[in-house]
Amino acid sequence: MMTPRKLAVKALRYTLIGILVVLAGFPVYWMAATALNVNSQLYGTGQVAWPQLQHLPDLVTELDNVPIGRWLFNTLLIASGGTVLSLTLGALAGYALSRFKFHGRGLVGFLLFMTQVVPEALILVPLYAMFITFGLLNSLWGLILANVGFSLPVACFVLKGAMDAVPYEIEESAIIDNCPRFSVLTMIILPLIMPSIAAAAVVSFFAGWNEFLFASTFLMDRTLWPASVGLASFVGQYETPMSAVLGAALVFSTPAIVFFLLIQRKIVAGLTAGAVKG
Amino acid sequence: MPALTFNKVSKTFGDHTVINAFNADIHDGEFLVLLGPSGCGKSTLLRMIAGLSDITSGDLLFDGSVANDWEPKKRGVAFVFQTYALYPHMTVRENIAFPLVMDAFRKWYHLPIVNIVARHRLMKRADIAERTLGIARQLELEPLLDRRPASLSGGQRQRVALARALVRNPDLYLLDEPLSNLDAKLRTQMRSEISALHHKVGKTFVYVTHDQVEAMTMATRIIVMNKGIVQQVDTPDEIYDHPANTFVARFVGSPPMNLIPASVSNDALQLSGKLPVDHAAPLPSRRHMTFGVRPEKLTLHPAGEGRLPAQVAVVERLGAETVIGCRLMTGEENNDQRLLEHDLVFVRVSGNPKVRIGELCSLDYQAGDVLWFDIDSGDRIFPGQE
Repeated sequence: MMTPRKLAVKALRYTLIGILVVLAGFPVYWMAATALNVNSQLYGTGQVAWPQLQHLPDLVTELDNVPIGRWLFNTLLIASGGTVLSLTLGALAGYALSRFKFHGRGLVGFLLFMTQVVPEALILVPLYAMFITFGLLNSLWGLILANVGFSLPVACFVLKGAMDAVPYEIEESAIIDNCPRFSVLTMIILPLIMPSIAAAAVVSFFAGWNEFLFASTFLMDRTLWPASVGLASFVGQYETPMSAVLGAALVFSTPAIVFFLLIQRKIVAGLTAGAVKG
Repeated sequence: MPALTFNKVSKTFGDHTVINAFNADIHDGEFLVLLGPSGCGKSTLLRMIAGLSDITSGDLLFDGSVANDWEPKKRGVAFVFQTYALYPHMTVRENIAFPLVMDAFRKWYHLPIVNIVARHRLMKRADIAERTLGIARQLELEPLLDRRPASLSGGQRQRVALARALVRNPDLYLLDEPLSNLDAKLRTQMRSEISALHHKVGKTFVYVTHDQVEAMTMATRIIVMNKGIVQQVDTPDEIYDHPANTFVARFVGSPPMNLIPASVSNDALQLSGKLPVDHAAPLPSRRHMTFGVRPEKLTLHPAGEGRLPAQVAVVERLGAETVIGCRLMTGEENNDQRLLEHDLVFVRVSGNPKVRIGELCSLDYQAGDVLWFDIDSGDRIFPGQE
């Protein structure tokens, strides 16, 4: 039987959690509610606070006029490609930084860190010039490379930290068991740091998913745009169709939310890995 | 032919020398124990045999061939780590089979994703599955085959580590303090099991420990090390009965050998500088030495009946035997209020004698049981090296 004091503490705790859930979930709800309102209401004072499902066919018709499927596919390609490349190179670089002693190891770490200090906007112009030289302008692969430049160091540091926590004896044991170095990484180390890989994957994936500046600068062709640039294109000189913008934003957010829900358990474990002695 | 030869092998980390010109032969089929205190370099030596640590200078020979630069794979050794180093994400079956699977891997099997498929397919191959099962049965691990290491007890993990070492049937087994993480009871049990295993497989075992009981009970030969230098290489009996120096005498045996400063003038012996003793045997021709006698070679008598008058300071009743720590009555013992263990002379007697702390008694010994050591270097001077 719970004492009144414990009951009160529990009630307070749940109330606080409820408030936080409402605060976090309200923008998503409002996005859905706005998407299913008519524009005339949105620019007046008559917006209805709940989604009006009868306007769903209007929204679908409106979104039919833009290549939202194509934009979503482009976004997915940019985010997934960047994630795969960041994780692959990050795992190799992280392993080298974690396990090998070589001249310039500290410098490599410093240079990787520096990429996080330099603002993206600062390197936009030099990068543009480079992309012209290498023929990467107006190419999704070029954009993936540009994004990886920023997400790779993060992945590398997250994975290096996780690898540092793997006991060296396990690796030596595998070497004694006739396992070559590369397989030690792929068969022994990587499965042991899956939570950190998931965390690095989320960081890389969302960096690519949300990226706007590079995409809007390097991609001229409308069919190559990712959804972030596509959404921005809704904003017109004289009019912005708010319900269509937020309807597209809803479609744009859904895969990301699903992706996050799928690996959220792994991420929490990854972000706290190594915090306590195992 | 010796299986392994160390020829002036040294290991340094920066300016710090861990192993200094180590010379030894490890014979085929023997159970050799590297014994020494923590930090004496014994684990480093084991890692050099395995190829996990580089040799700074000198040569390590495998059956006469210099193996300094050989990869661990070429050495054909099995290594049991202190922490067991099991693969946490694999089941016991996968852990045991891993060395066999790796031996069966072709080069392209190591490609990412391909290696997962190849490993699963090889796990099912009849010879690998049978060998894994056979070793698991031998070590009573069959019911645990599908469990992961995290769900096993320390003893079970230790057996899995042993099984993984055994499965490939190597010529040389290297064991780095494999029992140090177990409780006392399990350690005793595993000690017997490892000894039985060595007897059964008949291969060379090199075992590192700081526990002299493990060394004495399991080894066919012991190398006692201190600060990277070999102190003595011999059988357990010889090391116990004839330690090469005071370090070995103190390190091997529990309680350790009693070492008492002695001086000789005009063929008369004095212990602790003040206590005249009728030794009843020829004395070494030196003025100052260390008198050494094992606790079980001393006998306990009522006061006045033995040659060494003493007072009981510590009584440790162990059931079948009792260890009694005495302070020698040198005439100045009342001025010396220290009750440190190294000031005491220990005597081991069987049963449970009725002695009380503070009681006066006397100790006696046979002259033939006494070992004499150089007072400065600590080396044994009699018998055998005078």
